[in-house]
Amino acid sequence: MFWRFVLSAVKFRRRRLLLAFSGLAVAATLATTLLSVYSDIDRKMRHEFRGYGANLIIAHGPHSQTVPLTAVDEAERLGAVAAPFLYVVGRVGEERVVVAGVDFRRAAPLTSYWHVDGARVAGRGECLAGSALATHFRVSIGQRVPLESGPCLVRGIVSTGGPEDNRLMVPFERAAAAGFQNAASMVEVRADGPGKTTGQSRVEEVRAALALAVPGADVRVLYAVAETEANVVLKLKSAVFFLALIIFSITTLCVTGNFSALVIERSKEIGLLKAIGAAESKIASLFLSESLVLALASTLTGYVLGLAIAYGIGRKIFSEAAVGVDFGVFMPVMAVTLLVAVIATLLAASRIWRIEPAMILRGE
Amino acid sequence: MAIGAVALGSAVATAMLGAMLDVGDRVNRELRSMGANLIVTPKSASLPVDIGGIRYQPAAKDEFIPIASVPKVKSIFWSLNITALAPALKAQTPVNGLDVPVEGVWFGRDLRAPDGTNTQTGLRTLNSTWKVQGRWIDDRTPDDRSGECMLGAALARRLGLQAGSSLTLFGETFNVTGILSTGSEQEDRAFVRLEVLERLTGRAGQVDAIEVGALTKPEDAFARKDPAKMKPAEYERWYCTPYISSIALQIEQVLPMAVARPIRRVADNEGQVLNKVRGLMLLIALAALATAALTVWSVMATTVLERRYEIAIMAATGAGRAMIAALLGAEVAIQGALGGIIGALVGAQLSGAVSQSVFGGHGEAPALLVPVVVIVATAVALAGAAQPLRNALMLAPAVILREGI
Repeated sequence: MFWRFVLSAVKFRRRRLLLAFSGLAVAATLATTLLSVYSDIDRKMRHEFRGYGANLIIAHGPHSQTVPLTAVDEAERLGAVAAPFLYVVGRVGEERVVVAGVDFRRAAPLTSYWHVDGARVAGRGECLAGSALATHFRVSIGQRVPLESGPCLVRGIVSTGGPEDNRLMVPFERAAAAGFQNAASMVEVRADGPGKTTGQSRVEEVRAALALAVPGADVRVLYAVAETEANVVLKLKSAVFFLALIIFSITTLCVTGNFSALVIERSKEIGLLKAIGAAESKIASLFLSESLVLALASTLTGYVLGLAIAYGIGRKIFSEAAVGVDFGVFMPVMAVTLLVAVIATLLAASRIWRIEPAMILRGE
Repeated sequence: MAIGAVALGSAVATAMLGAMLDVGDRVNRELRSMGANLIVTPKSASLPVDIGGIRYQPAAKDEFIPIASVPKVKSIFWSLNITALAPALKAQTPVNGLDVPVEGVWFGRDLRAPDGTNTQTGLRTLNSTWKVQGRWIDDRTPDDRSGECMLGAALARRLGLQAGSSLTLFGETFNVTGILSTGSEQEDRAFVRLEVLERLTGRAGQVDAIEVGALTKPEDAFARKDPAKMKPAEYERWYCTPYISSIALQIEQVLPMAVARPIRRVADNEGQVLNKVRGLMLLIALAALATAALTVWSVMATTVLERRYEIAIMAATGAGRAMIAALLGAEVAIQGALGGIIGALVGAQLSGAVSQSVFGGHGEAPALLVPVVVIVATAVALAGAAQPLRNALMLAPAVILREGI
């Protein structure tokens, strides 16, 4: 009998319920979208910051001029991206130039900000020329630079706005042949992700571990990159949080209004029920079950729609690797939707106790 | 009830739009803590040969930027977008038998731009993420006899010095006021006041580089076109947009002896991150706007639906359709406008509060937002009321009135 009552209420007042349903479904959709975006914004934004390259530098310590190459292996063992760089002064004709030895394969993820005309990688007997150096010596792609240690074929022109513009980039082994045994001038490292222990960033953890593993070297955090990244991610996260809070509280208000209207409209029915002897609590539970059915249906609809929107946001804005939605938001979304529906109904249901059947039925 | 709903909807819309417009700007400023995104160096006939600040070949004597020209950087078209600039003179001197790079810089100087505005600028403003142990040198008043210096942390470790120690540079004794931790190659340098290094090196009025931090618009396909090949109208648009490349060109125009190059590592990524943030905010705002419009629409539809009897009675007693439509339309419009005004004002406060609590400082939604939201709210309210109103007017009054019994 109870459920027949609930179901026929849904059946006969379709239009009115559709309005309440769509209101609640919109709330659930927004909750899903915002929660999904919010829970993942860290990973997505940090991914964008990878373009800045290294956030850690291993430089030589006080008692040496170089960093041992084991530092690269140590960093890679810690799950970080690392690449050695070696700087020597070479000669082109009468002039001196800085020759940089680059492990192109390892350095690729750290040098994505280089603007390169031509190839990004140079093999044996080849090199990349900085833009200022190329202009100075009037060389272009496909020509040879008469380096003293043997000419090299220019495969690409690099422009960064930094010191690379004045340098000649050759494969690491070639620069090392100038008398460096398993050593580099410096090692660039990028450590990503949240820290293993709470309250500490991964960058700091990797720094501490590397400082232990490579005793003679000087391991530093590039504060400009590491801190700006942390700041921006944190602030964006809290901005999304606050906005979600505002949107959510306002949709809740609207839904509450919708549900109150549902009860108020049926004052006559309630009066009739009371007149023929129904207990107030029984009537209230009737309305509550109706709302819960509605809330469950809206949660499902909202969850599916919200995930689709969150996926769309991921696809549209963030790069390929960072697309993805958080399926785990279902429980919180359902909890929130049910809570909103229950509170809205209970607020409205308090009227049930105050309704005087005779008055209502007479039309006052 | 109707006014309340419109107010709620408009509040969300205003808060979201305000936040959306504001967050991009705030994140842009936040990203400026990354350091300079433009470097200005003298035009040079020779190639600089330096590794980590140590020069392996002396620079030509006649290649420099006159210090008197530095304030001109603040006189370009986009001067308001230049947040900080730091000129530097570079030299090196042996300490304990090893060459140490020394930079003469402005730490924090009040710069009087040619247009009369005063801005605080220098190394400290430009690099807000640098950590200092001890204190920054206060060089607001020039003093070329000052014996203060700051050391990069790596250099200090190598020399075994701390804040408060002293060392000899160029044969003069300097007090270390602070140790700078930056992580970058600046950690291997010593910093003194620009005027002190000018005196010590005998290069009065000269600087070797100016680092510039500028707020820019992320580069798009248009920004990457070659300005030399643009049509005049295109060129004007490019010139008047704060792209990093157009700012660089404008600096080169006021400093003919120099070249300005974007520091790609900072400039490119800044644009990329900023684009993502703006896009994210836009989509969230769109979602919120759609909801707000839907709410206003549905509430207005319900309000009119509830007044079908009234409409029927008016029609039955002889009011024309145009008359009834005008009457109800005016009512809805007033409700929409009133709700819109209340909502927009509340929403503006909300968005200000959000940006203040997240980014600190004073946040404010643009003033133009309020009238726009009010107009849109009224339009949406009218649109929501239109359909049920038309339905009610189409039906014979008797049909509607009988329904109610």
